[in-house]
Amino acid sequence: MELVCKTAPHLRKPDARATRMMRDVSIALAPLVIFAIYQHGLSALWILLVAALSMVATEYIYYQIIDRLNGEKLRINNKSFTVYNFSVVTSGLIYGLTLPDAIPLVVVAISGAIGILLAKLIFGGMGQNIFNPAAFARVFVTLSFGTVIAYESFIDADLGATALGILNEHILNDTVVSADGYSYWAMFSGIGLPGSLGETSALLILVGGLYLFLRRSFDIFIPLTYLGTVFLLSVGVMLSTDAGWWFPAVHLLSGGLMFGAVYMATDPITMPVTRPGRIYFAFGLGVITFVIRLFGNLPEGVVFSILIMNMFVPAIDYHKWAKNKFTVKSATIFTVIVITTIILTAVGVNYVL
Amino acid sequence: MIKKTKRVADYKQLTKELPTYDYTDPEYVHINLDSDRAKDYTLDVKEGDYVKLGQKLGERKGGFFTQPIIATISGYIEGTVKKFDDGANELTCVTIRNDYKNNYHETVTDRPESVIEKMKKEEIIEIIKEKSIVGLGGSGFPTYIKFSTDYDIKHVVINAVECEPYLSSDYRLIKDQPEDIFYGLKYTMQATGAEHGVIVVKKKKKELVEVLQREKTRFEHLNIDIVTVADYYPAGWEVATFKDALGIKMELGRLPMEYGILGINVSTCASIYEALKHNLPITKRHLTVNGDAIKFPQNIRVRVGTSIRELIKLSDGYVEDEGPVELVIGGPMMGTCAPNEDAIVTPTTTSLLAFKSVDHHEEPCVRCGSCVFSCPVDIQPVNIMNAFKRNDKEALENLDVMDCIECGLCSYVCTSKIHLTDYMRKGKKLIG
Repeated sequence: MELVCKTAPHLRKPDARATRMMRDVSIALAPLVIFAIYQHGLSALWILLVAALSMVATEYIYYQIIDRLNGEKLRINNKSFTVYNFSVVTSGLIYGLTLPDAIPLVVVAISGAIGILLAKLIFGGMGQNIFNPAAFARVFVTLSFGTVIAYESFIDADLGATALGILNEHILNDTVVSADGYSYWAMFSGIGLPGSLGETSALLILVGGLYLFLRRSFDIFIPLTYLGTVFLLSVGVMLSTDAGWWFPAVHLLSGGLMFGAVYMATDPITMPVTRPGRIYFAFGLGVITFVIRLFGNLPEGVVFSILIMNMFVPAIDYHKWAKNKFTVKSATIFTVIVITTIILTAVGVNYVL
Repeated sequence: MIKKTKRVADYKQLTKELPTYDYTDPEYVHINLDSDRAKDYTLDVKEGDYVKLGQKLGERKGGFFTQPIIATISGYIEGTVKKFDDGANELTCVTIRNDYKNNYHETVTDRPESVIEKMKKEEIIEIIKEKSIVGLGGSGFPTYIKFSTDYDIKHVVINAVECEPYLSSDYRLIKDQPEDIFYGLKYTMQATGAEHGVIVVKKKKKELVEVLQREKTRFEHLNIDIVTVADYYPAGWEVATFKDALGIKMELGRLPMEYGILGINVSTCASIYEALKHNLPITKRHLTVNGDAIKFPQNIRVRVGTSIRELIKLSDGYVEDEGPVELVIGGPMMGTCAPNEDAIVTPTTTSLLAFKSVDHHEEPCVRCGSCVFSCPVDIQPVNIMNAFKRNDKEALENLDVMDCIECGLCSYVCTSKIHLTDYMRKGKKLIG
């Protein structure tokens, strides 16, 4: 009998696989894909296919070139290519679901390819990227092709704008939930709501999030803190202005917040590794999202906030201060920062009214 | 996945209800003369001499202690050979050929309870030193040094948690000889002047609690508690055990004695009983032979010095499978790998495990954070790995890599199958 020597531990957890984690995200996205096709018809299918394929194909070609440069033989079945662990497919699907329904397919393909190339591959591929490739691609679409994208509306041709689009004109415009606006049920279920392919249905996103939580395939603290921060900030604004409870509700339910919180911010590669770090990270996401929504020029800030906070991940994880648990000191400082931020936002909002 | 993993699949059901098989008459035993703690030795016997069971053959000399070398069978000395211990260190061993008579040495006599009760602290400690009692949980630390502490000991904690998977030797020991443990605890309390004794077992092992509660009725005059702790890994790690059992939170790097606690393993406790009651040194060892590459897993009581080759033969050898086998001495999470079957059973050998070797395909880290959440000492294995890879000593220092107890949980939970525990060891070496 051949004996081999290895170091302890000699046991490994049977069901712990990164592939399973990525595959779970793809499964959790499935209801959203189906809903997008149901809502937007075949055009949604094409956008999603092109989004996913552009990323997969770019990664495939990239690794073929790299392997050739490293002097390996050309093989159809590329070793370094990571489609098997669902990482790039998941990125592609998430990217596709953030896109609006009226967008030229060529824009989808170009942005997808550039997103995966610049945000993931040149950093060294899976596990090495600093920025979320899906968020990067989505921002690339907004900044480079902003004029060719549009949201179609279904119910009411006059409305034509998303709830956040309306709020962007005037932040306390409560027509968004008035008799002519959207019902809460529409905003929650996403049925008949204009918006990006996968972002409209809060209900299905929460179902997917529940699945991921039950499978422990994502860190529940990120979406909880993210949504909680936006909620608290909007409640602060509500209290300091004459807005009603519709204000926090619209902010939570509309736009890409739910989707971003559950599927994009929770990408483990681009978030800190410690529990407090992840809470700081998600808090930062919430603050930046809300600030962009309220004070910025754009109606939506989720993808920007994700990219901005991605940059801070190495700083949050820095060995001089990153700790696995909250200490009394760090918890106190953090609480003070949270309260100060809420007060500042609530006061500040009166200057932009 | 992304969560705090506390449990490790335990596989104890394979062996825990099997009776202990007695294999106390091997043809040869090999008694180690040196050990990894003690490099020097003197040997008072020569080839051809007849030795008796329990006889002192010489002395091991460590940096801060000496330890008698004891014959574990009666028979004839057959010269010295090179063998291995559980840490894969090469050892010089003296071989004794069994005469199958089990002739006990004259010093091995029963001591009446009334005599023991009148003994002073120093006398008990002297016997423990003479009988070469060491920490049998795996540390091998001389027990008499632990006992001669200057700190005021309030609690004696008997660690019977046995949180490593696959191991059931302590389980069997408690089930088969609960009385020995209570006496051992009684003597330990007497030797340290402690008022309070605690036996800690896992909550899951209800049978043991029952046995111990039953036995406790015979020792009502002593202040002994049987405490159960939650089923998690590493519940048997000193710091975790004391925290769960006594509610005393130890700071890392401090001695338990500073908190008035003296913790010993349950096997050590039983051997203290043997030493005081029968004046017998450690000659036998309960161990578990287990693992998915062993044909018939079982618990065996063997002589110290038995070659592990014989134990594998006793368990019907390896399962017929072409693949390579990992031979592990100690638990699967923290045990060491034996390079060949030439290792011997030392007093600290708790088990012999054989696993079908699996080559885990390492994928890039996805920073899921499972290792960080699961770490019992709250360090960040993934960041330590990265710091080690870029040779960043300052970061290793700041990340407290020296706190690592090498429990193996980070490698166990890793979703990318990265061998993090190995990086922890390398990181320690780099700055240590």
